[in-house]
Amino acid sequence: MMLDWLVPTLISVLLVLAGIGAVRRMNMWRAGQAEKVDMLAGLLAMPKRYLHDLHHVVDRDKYISRTHVATGGGFVLAMVLVVFVHLFGVDSKILAWALLAALVMMFCGALFVYKRRINPPSRLSKGPWMRLPKSLLTFSITFFVLTLPAAGVLPEGFGGWLLTLVLSVLILMSLSEMLFGMTWGGPMKHAFAGALHLAFHRRPERFGGGRSTGLKPVDFGDGVSVKEVLGVAKPTDFKWNQLLGFDACVQCGRCEAVCPAFAAGQPLNPKKLIQDMVVGFAGGTDENYAGSPYPGIDLGHAKGAPNQIITDGLIHPDTLWSCTTCRACVEECPMMIEHVDAIVDMRRFLTLEKGSTPNKGAQVLENIIATDNPNGYAPASRTHWAADQNLPVMKDVKQADVLFWVSDGAFDMRSQRILRAFVKLMKAANVDVAILGDEELDSGDVARRLGDDATFQSLAKRNLATLSTYQFNKIVTTDPHAFHCLKNEYGDFGSDALQNVEVLHHTTFLNRLVKDGLLQLEPFKGGKVTYHDPCYLGRYNGEYEAPRELLASLGIDVAEMERSKFRSRCCGGGGGAPITDIPGERRIADMRMEDVVSTGASMVAVGCQQCTAMLEGVVEPRPVVKDIAEILAGQLIEETH
Amino acid sequence: MSQYDALFEPLNINKLTIRNRIVSTAHAEVYATDGGMTTDRYVKYYEEKAKGGCGLCICGGSSVVSIDSPQSWWSSVNLSTDRIIPHFQNLADAVHKHGGKIMIQITHMGRRSRWDGENWPNLMSPSGIREPVHRATCKTIEVEEMWRIIGDFAQAARRAKEGGLDGVELSAVHQHLIDQFWSPRVNKRTDEWGGTFEGRMKFGMEVLKAVRAEVGPDFVVGMRITGDEFHPDGLGHEEMKKIAQYYDATGMVDYFGVVGSGCDTHNTLANVIPNMSYPPEPFLYLAAGIKAVVNVPVIHAQNIKDPNQAKRIIEAGYVDFVGMTRAHIADPHFIAKIKMDQVDQIRQCVGANYCIDRQYQGLDVLCIQNAATSREYMGLPHIIEKTTGVIRNVVVVGGGPGGLEAARVAAERGHKVTLIDRADELGGQLVLAAKAPQRDQIAGITRWLVMEIERLGVEVRLGTAASEEMIKALNPDVCILATGGRPFLEQNPEWGAAEGLVVSTWDILSGKVEPGKNVLVYDTICEFSGMSAADYLASKGSLVELVTDDIKPGVGIGGTTFPTYYRSLYEKEVIMTSDMLLDKVYREGDKLVAVLENEYTAQKEERVVDQIVVENGTRPNEDLYYALKPSSLNKGQIDNDALFDIKPQPVLAEEKGAGMILWRLGDNVSQRNVHAAMYDALRLCKDL
Repeated sequence: MMLDWLVPTLISVLLVLAGIGAVRRMNMWRAGQAEKVDMLAGLLAMPKRYLHDLHHVVDRDKYISRTHVATGGGFVLAMVLVVFVHLFGVDSKILAWALLAALVMMFCGALFVYKRRINPPSRLSKGPWMRLPKSLLTFSITFFVLTLPAAGVLPEGFGGWLLTLVLSVLILMSLSEMLFGMTWGGPMKHAFAGALHLAFHRRPERFGGGRSTGLKPVDFGDGVSVKEVLGVAKPTDFKWNQLLGFDACVQCGRCEAVCPAFAAGQPLNPKKLIQDMVVGFAGGTDENYAGSPYPGIDLGHAKGAPNQIITDGLIHPDTLWSCTTCRACVEECPMMIEHVDAIVDMRRFLTLEKGSTPNKGAQVLENIIATDNPNGYAPASRTHWAADQNLPVMKDVKQADVLFWVSDGAFDMRSQRILRAFVKLMKAANVDVAILGDEELDSGDVARRLGDDATFQSLAKRNLATLSTYQFNKIVTTDPHAFHCLKNEYGDFGSDALQNVEVLHHTTFLNRLVKDGLLQLEPFKGGKVTYHDPCYLGRYNGEYEAPRELLASLGIDVAEMERSKFRSRCCGGGGGAPITDIPGERRIADMRMEDVVSTGASMVAVGCQQCTAMLEGVVEPRPVVKDIAEILAGQLIEETH
Repeated sequence: MSQYDALFEPLNINKLTIRNRIVSTAHAEVYATDGGMTTDRYVKYYEEKAKGGCGLCICGGSSVVSIDSPQSWWSSVNLSTDRIIPHFQNLADAVHKHGGKIMIQITHMGRRSRWDGENWPNLMSPSGIREPVHRATCKTIEVEEMWRIIGDFAQAARRAKEGGLDGVELSAVHQHLIDQFWSPRVNKRTDEWGGTFEGRMKFGMEVLKAVRAEVGPDFVVGMRITGDEFHPDGLGHEEMKKIAQYYDATGMVDYFGVVGSGCDTHNTLANVIPNMSYPPEPFLYLAAGIKAVVNVPVIHAQNIKDPNQAKRIIEAGYVDFVGMTRAHIADPHFIAKIKMDQVDQIRQCVGANYCIDRQYQGLDVLCIQNAATSREYMGLPHIIEKTTGVIRNVVVVGGGPGGLEAARVAAERGHKVTLIDRADELGGQLVLAAKAPQRDQIAGITRWLVMEIERLGVEVRLGTAASEEMIKALNPDVCILATGGRPFLEQNPEWGAAEGLVVSTWDILSGKVEPGKNVLVYDTICEFSGMSAADYLASKGSLVELVTDDIKPGVGIGGTTFPTYYRSLYEKEVIMTSDMLLDKVYREGDKLVAVLENEYTAQKEERVVDQIVVENGTRPNEDLYYALKPSSLNKGQIDNDALFDIKPQPVLAEEKGAGMILWRLGDNVSQRNVHAAMYDALRLCKDL
């Protein structure tokens, strides 16, 4: 029988071709920069990472998660059994029946993949991805039929030459997709690269319920030997496992669906960005890309090569500067790709090497360098806001239970209201608190997100040096951006200033005070209230509950927005986006306020001065914007003397 | 990030950190009524300013250190006894609680007071020269008395310190005892307490030394001085620079407050608290001159009302602190509103000087346009809270200050408010008042109210005469009539108003009637409208005689405002005639003849003129009220017990829908003033 030798031959040939493709693909990744990875541990951890962490993300969409379990699980099992049954010719009814079962499972899954592709949402890429369900169905049907004789259901050699021919063509088609395509750039690439990405992920801390959101510091060398390039100029400047990560993309567009810049019509689409990265390190153009473009930029003109400067023809700098670093894309990515790392890496090159931070960017960075604050205020005016607060200053008291990290809201009249409200609450609870006063410097958040890691590191080191001279148990701040830097990024600079120190956002701290009965609060009697999760508090640091518990303690039943908690939509204020100010069709803050309005709330509670500023920038009439500290302070029952 | 950052740069006075550059300077509150002891009313008044963000309050203008400097006339604070100390503690706590600082002005007023009351003392002055403004005769002070008063100053400062206040301000301005010694106009002594520069300085210097010795180096001791007395025989600017330097050199003075002008005549007194006829900050140059020669911070008030103006003054470095005292009387939340980015919501002082003019009549200081000021203790709010009860449909008829305030307060409470006015412009009589020369700023009252009702979404229907049918069709839960009045020219039929022989001041100010060539203004009211009409006519070239049957034209206008009218009227050669009533008017050819009769002799005189303008007050427009009254739930009645006690009107307890509540206020009831109308509006509507 022709099939007896044709099937194993086809399988063998395609497996060999797949192997060649895999080596070729791996070489593309290896063109990236070295990064130390514990390969063995990663490979061993991979199944668990897949079944637990990745599935956890995929499972947010039950339809596709079940579909994928059936299709992917069915395929992996079927492929292994195909090798035994059809390549090695193991004659076992049990194996054959198992293979049939796997193929049925895969077939069922593939039907749902097919169904979803009938009228696919705009976030899904089309092109070869439209072919995939057919390939999956073909694979499952073909091998089902092929396996029937092995299972004893049909006699050997049934069907005659016509069927043999048809089956041969179908085998070739489906195996091409499933094996050859896997390593030669077809849709199935995601399985190959995705699995390895899980094993060799640059942030292994993310798995097993962990969180890893701090940016990796730029290595400025020892100051004598200068590194070749700061940040990422060319695709090969990325770490090899970042390149691997880009290749894992399934183009599901979940990132696109949550990206605030994309929704605002700014020229950014995280999915396209990742695909452009692939175009970059693999070489070529974006003409085969079959998803949504960057708003306002036509497809087909982007060209890249592994050693070509990315912003020279592959990606417009505006795309990189549109990002608010809100991490919504990272949070949604089922393949655990790190979009924000990549964007900031490329910004570092633009800022540090080219000095081309757009719009107010350069000025803000100069201000930070000259005055240690982004708006260039006289450093000696940092504590003006507190002239009437009677707050102890660390310089005088040397130690306190709580160090209140004031942040640059100190210079801003609106933010000062938040600071004063928080101080009022701390005083009411008799917290032993002190501030750094004029010794405090900008946390470096804006500099870092704008790509100026040198200034960030300088600020971080100087702040750490100041902090190391005082004794305190907790550091509390009303600014989630400073909170993130202190908690997740200052640790990279070899200081023990924050060792054994709890870094807390004020909502977390206030929630403890309320739970400990240290604040007497009146129930809130105003209208409906919703809560906006700040990105740097929520997605970056996982604090979703404390603000809600605080509101609940006032008797507020939060009218949740559809996009809330880990799905919260950015206010548009992060990542220096208001500074680089890339034009779009609408403002992100306006869209966020529409989310607020849709709940019918008359007030939106926030926990971030930047969110406050952005949301209050929306033209009235609109709901009132208040920090949770302000709301609490308004309900504080003050002792009367 | 704010254009007002300069105002929010803290600055130390001695060791005391003031959180911003805005000061409420010393003024007599006329509230410390309990034997000179500060009352709850006093504390709440200053607490409100501190709550509103004011950096430093200097309270107690002309608070006395000695029992022979009478305090009862202005009900000023009495620091001559230790009884004051616990009262100060309450005051200091209330202000400190909100991050504010508080000091008190202390003084012996010498001859500048009245002797006919309280302890009936002999007033004292360096050379026994009479003070004209208070018609105060006095004795020549003796050395023993000087030393005793110097000691009294020190003890008063101690009481302020023990009471927890942040400092004292020695008053050496407004012709009090210290500057009576300084001024060669009053000090004619030839002993060591007069004559030479050092001699004239000696009393003040001894006071300063004694106070500083008593309170120690860290307690704030400031001095308020004049920048120029504007009297040829008084203290000039160069002399004052020398004096400031002389005291500054001791290192014992922590700041200087500088006031332009002396004030021992009616005319100079008007300079001290410049009303709306003055330009902004007219005497800043004097304070800047003092700042140029001293090493400590300088504070200056006088017609600084706007945050931009204040910021410009601070940024330019003319002075270190701006006094915004009346600005805070009009809106104690002035600073908070800047910080809340609500500068447009600041109720700005218009310089009507209702506050200070009441003070000079020995009445409590009130704001013409903010009825809550100084009534905080009664529970009248500066910030109107939204109601948690039913939302009512409120219709206000009449867009004068009373109607506007009612609409504003009702809208702040969250009600649905419709405001109807017959005119095409809001403001009622304020529209007319603002037409007069130097009186345009009174329109600021309207401007703020209109901006507020726009912000609050009040529906305004202009050019609409309300009728009974229209009101009923609107189906209001509450209808407030503030339809004002109309000129009352028909009181004496002999005036011939019916035949058109006389016109009203409204006709003139509104431009409805062209000014005549030769005009007689007859004013029985003697407040603003008659004076304004005369001034308006004169400014248009009319030859004007202003006649009243009262004791002098403008007698009802207070001490800082009648002088600016007089300056203007005398300059335009307006003839002012008192004690003559208008008996009758008749026409003779193309002329009008006014028959005047002397009140005291009944002797008659005639004036042949082209135009006769009569100001005889108003009669209420009450037709609509009486039409609506019978069918209203409360028959139009206001419960005075509740009203005066700042309690909700009992009728509000009735279920919504039980019927229309009808209230009327302002001149629609009887002729009173802007404050009266707005006070009623606020206290009626704050509990809606």
